[in-house]
Amino acid sequence: MNDNTSPSNGQNSGPRYWRSLEHKADSPEFRAFVENEFPSGVDLIDDPVSRRNFMKIMSASFALAGLGVSGCRRPEHKILPFSRMPENYVHGTPQYYATAMPTRGAAVPLVVKSYDGRPIKVEGNAEYPDSNGGTDQYAQASVLSLYDPDRGLNFKLAEKNDKGEKSLKVIAKAKVLEQLDGLANGKTHVLMEQSSSPSRARLVAGLKAKGVNFYEYEPIDFSVHEEAADIAFGPGVRPYYKLDEAKAILSLDCDFLGTEESAFQHIRGFAEGRRVKDDHKENPADSMNRLYSVEGLLTLTGTNADHRLRIPTGSVVRVAALALAEALDGIGLDGAEDGISQLRAFAAELNKDFSNSHAVEGDAKADTAKWVRQCVADLIRFKERGDKTLVVAGYRQPREVHLAAMAMNALLGNVGSTLLLQKANPSGNGTIADLVLRFNDGDTLVVLGGDPAYNAPADIEWAKLVGRAGRVIRQGYYIDQTATDADAYIPAAHYLESWGDARTSDGTLVPVQPLIAPLFGGMTELEVLARVGGTESDPYKVVRKTFEGIAGSGDTRWEKFLHDGFLAGSASGVESREYDWDAASAAWDAGAKPVKLPGKNDYEVTFYRDHSMDDGRWCNNGWLLETPNPVTRIAWDNVLVVSYQTARELLGEEAAKEALDFEKLDKKSGGLPGRFGFHSDAGRFYQKVYKLEVGGKTVEGPIWLLPGMADNVVGVALGYGRERGRVGGAAGFNAYRARTSSEAHFAGGAKLTEKPSTTYEVACTQEQGVMDGRPVIREGNANDFNGHKDFVKHFDLDSIHHTTHIPKKGARYKWEKDRTDLASSPYKHNFGGESNGPKLMDPDRQQWGMVIDLGTCVGCDACVVACQSENNIPIVGKHQVAIGREMSWIRIDRYFSGDEHNPQVNYQGVGCQHCEDAPCESVCPVNATVHDEEGLNLMAYNRCVGTRYCSNNCPYKVRRFNYYDYNRRPFGVEDGKRKPGTFFNDDNELNNSPLHPGNKSSNGEWELVRWYKDPSRGSVPGLDDGKKENGEFDPEWDLVKLSKNPDVSVRMRGVMEKCTYCVQRIQRGKIEQKVEARDTDNVKVPDGKIKTACEQVCPADAIAFGDISDKESEVYRLNRQNRNYSLLGFLDTRPRTTYLAKLRNPNVNMPDYYDIPNSTSEYITKNHGEIFGVNANAKKAEELQGKESSH
Amino acid sequence: MSDVFPRWTNRLPGQIIFGLLLIGGVVTAGLTYFFTPKYTRVGYQPTQPVPFSHSIHVQQLGLDCRYCHDGVEKSWYSNVPAADTCMNCHSAVRANDPKLEPVRASYQDQNKPVEWVQIHKLPDYVYFNHSVHVNRGVSCVECHGRVDKMDEVRHEKNFSMTFCLDCHRELSPKNGDPNKRLRPLDKITNLAYDRWGDTDNRDKDFVKEWHIKTSENCSACHR
Repeated sequence: MNDNTSPSNGQNSGPRYWRSLEHKADSPEFRAFVENEFPSGVDLIDDPVSRRNFMKIMSASFALAGLGVSGCRRPEHKILPFSRMPENYVHGTPQYYATAMPTRGAAVPLVVKSYDGRPIKVEGNAEYPDSNGGTDQYAQASVLSLYDPDRGLNFKLAEKNDKGEKSLKVIAKAKVLEQLDGLANGKTHVLMEQSSSPSRARLVAGLKAKGVNFYEYEPIDFSVHEEAADIAFGPGVRPYYKLDEAKAILSLDCDFLGTEESAFQHIRGFAEGRRVKDDHKENPADSMNRLYSVEGLLTLTGTNADHRLRIPTGSVVRVAALALAEALDGIGLDGAEDGISQLRAFAAELNKDFSNSHAVEGDAKADTAKWVRQCVADLIRFKERGDKTLVVAGYRQPREVHLAAMAMNALLGNVGSTLLLQKANPSGNGTIADLVLRFNDGDTLVVLGGDPAYNAPADIEWAKLVGRAGRVIRQGYYIDQTATDADAYIPAAHYLESWGDARTSDGTLVPVQPLIAPLFGGMTELEVLARVGGTESDPYKVVRKTFEGIAGSGDTRWEKFLHDGFLAGSASGVESREYDWDAASAAWDAGAKPVKLPGKNDYEVTFYRDHSMDDGRWCNNGWLLETPNPVTRIAWDNVLVVSYQTARELLGEEAAKEALDFEKLDKKSGGLPGRFGFHSDAGRFYQKVYKLEVGGKTVEGPIWLLPGMADNVVGVALGYGRERGRVGGAAGFNAYRARTSSEAHFAGGAKLTEKPSTTYEVACTQEQGVMDGRPVIREGNANDFNGHKDFVKHFDLDSIHHTTHIPKKGARYKWEKDRTDLASSPYKHNFGGESNGPKLMDPDRQQWGMVIDLGTCVGCDACVVACQSENNIPIVGKHQVAIGREMSWIRIDRYFSGDEHNPQVNYQGVGCQHCEDAPCESVCPVNATVHDEEGLNLMAYNRCVGTRYCSNNCPYKVRRFNYYDYNRRPFGVEDGKRKPGTFFNDDNELNNSPLHPGNKSSNGEWELVRWYKDPSRGSVPGLDDGKKENGEFDPEWDLVKLSKNPDVSVRMRGVMEKCTYCVQRIQRGKIEQKVEARDTDNVKVPDGKIKTACEQVCPADAIAFGDISDKESEVYRLNRQNRNYSLLGFLDTRPRTTYLAKLRNPNVNMPDYYDIPNSTSEYITKNHGEIFGVNANAKKAEELQGKESSH
Repeated sequence: MSDVFPRWTNRLPGQIIFGLLLIGGVVTAGLTYFFTPKYTRVGYQPTQPVPFSHSIHVQQLGLDCRYCHDGVEKSWYSNVPAADTCMNCHSAVRANDPKLEPVRASYQDQNKPVEWVQIHKLPDYVYFNHSVHVNRGVSCVECHGRVDKMDEVRHEKNFSMTFCLDCHRELSPKNGDPNKRLRPLDKITNLAYDRWGDTDNRDKDFVKEWHIKTSENCSACHR
């Protein structure tokens, strides 16, 4: 049955993973794009210095060089030792401190690495009991915000000019702080962000006693979890989810893997429950957990689910009702009959298949009610087997959905096991609405953190409130809108700059320990509150006093607390409570309202927390901005996301037939027009701009088609459109303007109208680095696995049946004696044997390799940010990303497979594969990329002359080229003023070479002249040239330099770079081992001692790194798993990075059950393959049959 | 017509070629001599703010290198001592010597470091590590020469890339005696140590015993 014709011919080979609709449609533009090594325009150097000009200047400078002989003298460098050596300090060795990053209601326990007093890298605290050392992308990027040159640098007071306009002027700190005196009375209203800090609670309690009013506002508020638990289980508790113990999880619009609070901890728990530890021994069908997801958006949780139901966000409450009814029915509860019928009536609409407006009539897969029924039946089955399950509801959902979820957990016996009820102390502070009600004209308003002027709900009318205030005092990190409106401005200290404390999600007390003194004298909210209260305002003493109140006094206790980074045993107590059916059903009756179904031009808007910006708090963080959204793969912007069907309807049927009809496009030469995707300039996305109108408010933004969204739902990310800040100031649009407090998360009745003849360029990394038509991700079903353990070896050319093009039995190299096929292992080398082959594999040295488990990777992008932080990867800016020059060493590829309405999604992290037989090395004319004896593919920057041949020859497209001196990119200044959003679309600043004639930021001065005056200044822009804004201290990008890792070279213009497996960490590990070994032979680095940055940050532990020749190591073990395969293995590049195939765990009884995952199924059909006992002919016959029966 | 070019011009091409070759040769020779680290670095001996003599401190007083350079075994960087290290002795010995004024000033005032002039410097893209060398049998003397004999420190070796590689290559038996540069760890800071005079250790094969593996690859120094 095996057809040995090469399947690599033509576009149909390989499973049809498609990375976007354009790809799936396979338009000519797309093909042209794929066939180009770089998107067009990449080669276009738009430097105004032409070659001719260059020659002129060079000859002139050579002539000048003769005159300046004195410049040839060896420059004298000074060594400045300490006056007195600090204790335990050794210059050149990093120091690590335990600290924590406070989040809304929790904290991320961290260990931060500091070099010469500069914090440069954040890691998770692996000692913390509920942690593997992983963190999220926000914590990784937070260190860059510390060195943000746009942060508030000075204490300021407002002054009025002749016309009565207020503007902030720099004033001495002490003078500004006088404003805080005499505020401890009832006329003061303090608006803060949420916080878990016990010190803050203590100070607030003290001030409340004096009459001060306190309010909290979070634009994205997770407290609905706690609110619902207080109703369902009685007051004073909050839920804590233990995902690792749940065998089946039902998520009701709960994006616990992406945008919920402490998602990194949930990822860890979920991955623990999902991991197939050893597929030689265990049966994945028994050991893996199963995830059901119900959602309106396409989130990380939904894309990782085994079964996904897409339904408008506002209708999830119906699913919750039906699910609860099914659970009550199935498990049985006395006196619940009425309730069941009420719930069923509430959910009746679900039977009408409304969520799948595109579905063919009678399509069993679209039966929503059956989906819910079978899902709940499965949960009950797990319960009967004695396994734990979990039902979770997301923060976007109203309280009623949470009540239903908790009721199901109570019925399923999860309370106390997977759902813990922890003691909680509600803060008792008011809301922003209370603030408006209680505020009297002329009162003092103190705003600590946040940015209500930007993100307060539209109905709050913040500007009016500020107008009523007698005085506004603002403490914040940036000079944002709230600060501009204020009378006094206090710069906030970064969490790495000052003392604080916090409690993690389970209530454990953690210290927020500073690693550096406040760079600009900023103050934390603790200091401000203490100062207002007239108490001790040294934050160290404040925090220590709180600690002593909790844990008792004594230096040893305190020091251990700081050393460990947490207080052992301080987690909140777990309460044992019964579900209060009466209270909950009363709350349900009072609150549950059927939400109108969205329809054509009556859309539902869903606002969501962004993966990069959060609620806007990371607005000026280039690392986060440049990390593409994990699902849309769009960087630097937010967009209006709609489903395929909605896109069709927006276009109108006639136009859609032309634009989005895949069947036709396969044959037609037209391709997708610019409406939703491609512009003819391949690889660049010029999107139509739509006006979104909801509740009388409008916002405008580019439209984006995301397959898998619920129909008639428009997804909008919050946090963009800040209009301040030179990095992110121009990114996206402000969706808060369309958001009201009553409909904070979703709102119906929205209209989309096209803004005629307007397009907007979106930087999407999606179409770049495509591996066209190969089985790059291999996946199977858990229930099939035991019968077909070797299924990954049945794909494509490296399948056992397809290795004819590779000579067997040691013919390729003399030293390969036992090589029979590629698929068995790319590592069948003759370790230690007679070696007349390449010295590549020195048996005496450790051989580095990596295994990435696609089964547990959820695609969260934390590794991308960690890599950027560790390896000094520059920020290139939106325009550079748009033309395909992003620099990330590890990227997450996202693939769709299946139908364009509800596709299956896969993620795959791809960095340099460190091929043993590396194609890049053989084409480098200058030997800049070579192999070492430990199997690393090295990159010597100093040798590189920038031919880019290596990148051209790399099948994985992981090499990145420095088209400009990105690291010297100055922050934009125009006419002596900061220019918002220079990293966005303006590449002028990139041309600041010494030969540049100068632009506005250099005040017209030639760069060469500027460089001659002060060579060490680089290209610091004009603010330093006597045009200081109000005499401000303006350190400019020297500040950004401080964030660089001194262990890694900062690359210059014109060199290639790529993942090095964190060679600096490998060397450090080896050197530390050798130093320890001294005159013994104990030089082998133990497994697990060297961790790459991506491995260390991964909350899912999906990445393993180590010595593949060491039989005791984790990578050795993983390399020998049945699921192990190499990416593009048929090329025989022998990558050192291999992948573990993904397993899905679908439920046979579900209406949308798939007997093999979509991608594998497509592979079989298109590739004449045979996997899982299914071969292509049988598959085709089955498909034909299916088509006939449906007609 | 024959008068247009005089006869001597016949030799001109040859002369030009010879001349160019000569100039080329001289320039090449000049560059090789004057523009390599051998010339530009070796012998560099700047004046230091304090005329500290290694010779007196090591030869006469018997101080170990690590008394002052105490980071050398722990870090990539071998530190120049802080002022308080000097003052350990010099608060009593030669307490009022005017030559020591910068040290005393630094000790009094944190903001007045002694401005030592750096002699040994590697480019910033080279990641040399002291600790891994001195902990594994490579003595200071291999790179810094007989500092113990110097009154004022001078740059002794050329520190070019070949200089590093020569040593790293020697471990291969093809290239001579792999043990030549290694010595017992207690003799690391004994700059006068003579391996061939040390009969106990002369025949020991440290490379094998300690499992020494040098790297000649880019990753050893460039990251």
